[in-house]
Amino acid sequence: MGLAGAEIRRAKLRFGLLTGAVSLLVFLVLLLSTLSAALVGALVGALEGLRADGLVYADFARDNIAASRMAPDVLDAVAAVPGVGSYGAVGTFTTAAVIDGAQVDVQVFGFDQGAPGAPSGLVDGALPTGPGEAAVDGGGVAIGDVVTLDPAGTELTVVGLLRGAQFNAIPTMYVDSGTYADAFTGTNPGLPFVPINAVAFDVTEGSDPAQVASDITATVPGVTGYTRDEAVSLIPGIESISQSFGILVGLTFVIGIVVIGFFFLILTVQKLKPFTLLRAIGTSTGRLAATVAIQITLVVLIASAIAVGLTLLAVRGLNTGLPVSIEPSLIIGVVVSVWVFSLLAGLLSIRRIARIDPASAVGAR
Amino acid sequence: MNDPVVEATDSAPGGDGPSPVSDAPLHPGALLQVRDVSKVYGSGHTAVTALDAATMSVEQGEFVALLGPSGSGKTTLISIIGGLLAATSGTVTVGDVDVTQLSKRDLTRFRAEQVGFVFQSANLVPFLTARENLLYVATLVKTPKKAAQQRADQLLEELGLADRAKNLPEQLSGGERQRVAIGRALMNDPDLVLVDEPTAALDTALGRQVVQLLRREIKDRGKTGIMVTHDLRMVEYTDRVFEILDGHLTHVEEPSALQH
Ligand SMILES: Nc1ncnc2c1ncn2[C@@H]1O[C@H](COP(=O)(O)OP(=O)(O)OP(=O)(O)O)[C@@H](O)[C@H]1O
Ligand SMILES: [Mg+2]
Repeated sequence: MGLAGAEIRRAKLRFGLLTGAVSLLVFLVLLLSTLSAALVGALVGALEGLRADGLVYADFARDNIAASRMAPDVLDAVAAVPGVGSYGAVGTFTTAAVIDGAQVDVQVFGFDQGAPGAPSGLVDGALPTGPGEAAVDGGGVAIGDVVTLDPAGTELTVVGLLRGAQFNAIPTMYVDSGTYADAFTGTNPGLPFVPINAVAFDVTEGSDPAQVASDITATVPGVTGYTRDEAVSLIPGIESISQSFGILVGLTFVIGIVVIGFFFLILTVQKLKPFTLLRAIGTSTGRLAATVAIQITLVVLIASAIAVGLTLLAVRGLNTGLPVSIEPSLIIGVVVSVWVFSLLAGLLSIRRIARIDPASAVGAR
Repeated sequence: MNDPVVEATDSAPGGDGPSPVSDAPLHPGALLQVRDVSKVYGSGHTAVTALDAATMSVEQGEFVALLGPSGSGKTTLISIIGGLLAATSGTVTVGDVDVTQLSKRDLTRFRAEQVGFVFQSANLVPFLTARENLLYVATLVKTPKKAAQQRADQLLEELGLADRAKNLPEQLSGGERQRVAIGRALMNDPDLVLVDEPTAALDTALGRQVVQLLRREIKDRGKTGIMVTHDLRMVEYTDRVFEILDGHLTHVEEPSALQH
């Protein structure tokens, strides 16, 4: 017969309140992590999902693809660098668009068919293969919808839906380079050429993307090469956003662990008399410690189940305008670390239990 | 409550009453042998000698009383016998186990398997029902569940607690609690039953009832029992009496010798 379960059954209110408090804290951790992943994803998803080993921007862009402008001849210069395999031009700009009769800001990406720089994360339909087609993430569009760019007047028919491919947390449309050129010149008339924001490249077999990127920086004048991951992490503001959320998540986590640790310590101190009795009649310290560990595990597991339920509800109910999705690996990671750290916090109680002198049970007054 | 301690100490030494046998003989085959056990608490000039070369032996199946005033060393002695407290010197053997030689871990097991304790107070686990308090100790020695349940129910029945089995300690009267504790002490079929002032919190009538029950359970099961008390009226239920005064253990053959 388990001591752990018996005690919980006889102190339902106590354990219920604790479980409630812990579930709220785990819920906060899960929600904040999910939202932060969603926000970061919406800001940089386009680059994260870009199919390329590396990217090349203009020097003056200061790591920001949107600020980068390069003339088309940069493609040949990049292609000449040893280690560069296939490559393609990527262009992007922000413009207004009319979706469903409402005007919104959208980001447009143009990429060369069959070359590096295409998006990933297709959930329905197909990537654009011809003029006037677009694959879209966000904006509530469906396949077959028509989006009109403003003021260019370019009409885009939605042929594919993407997830995790947004940029700047606004609806993002991917079109082929011809359509892109039309839209760009319609928006910015009178330019001598359509500028390239980035060159996306894959390295040849056996080459190291980081090495090739720095070779590009060294040999092609006026540009900087990045690996894809570098380009993502250098996007201005991303680091501070991640850090701010990280601090919130971390604090909530720590508070949760401290609550659990002290709650069980208080419970243990309140139970010293029965624990001493249990030791006196032949219970080992290990078994009492296991009782605490089992109770912590039960509380954390039930609280986590509740928290996951709350998070699912919240993600469905909250309208943040962000494409939020729940990552099973995130949930498992959070729950396991809450559990492990709670057990560590339980060591406070176990240390107290180990100090019990069973002799003090006799003639206890 | 009137104070029986005064009576006890007055009548014990001298006079034409009982003659205490100060060098209590050791019986070689006895279940419990206590040899020259001393206990000194603390050290230096704050040292307290709670027990001074105590020697006693108790046969299997005997139910003896340990009688003495407050602070005389009764609890100290049964704590050492029961493996709760380390003696400063001397040896205690139960059967063929030298309790004073056991490691901490083995002492814990010794207490679970060989000793049934009834403490003066705070005897039961508050969040376990009467029946669960009994069943719990069975898990310490890995008794099969069925057997444990049968034994617990039988003990509760014998102790007149069948209808209180599902009650928590806080829902039981003082006498009921002590009876549950007796059941708990007997649950693992221990060799030794050690009882520290079982009647201290009870009125006389209830106290007698509990001690009678205790005697019956110990005798029926052929256990060896030691009951600490400073209540002279309780010794009539025991076979022999040991008296202790300021840590000095003496032995009185017959309980009746103490009755006026
Ligand atoms: N942990 C301890 N540290 C120091 N002295 C102690 C300790 N425990 C007991 N003593 C002392 O040892 C002596 C014997 O104590 P013990 O508890 O064995 O007496 P007792 O006969 O059981 O008394 P009572 O009838 O009041 O329970 C007393 O003088 C007591 O103050
Ligand atoms: Mg005592």
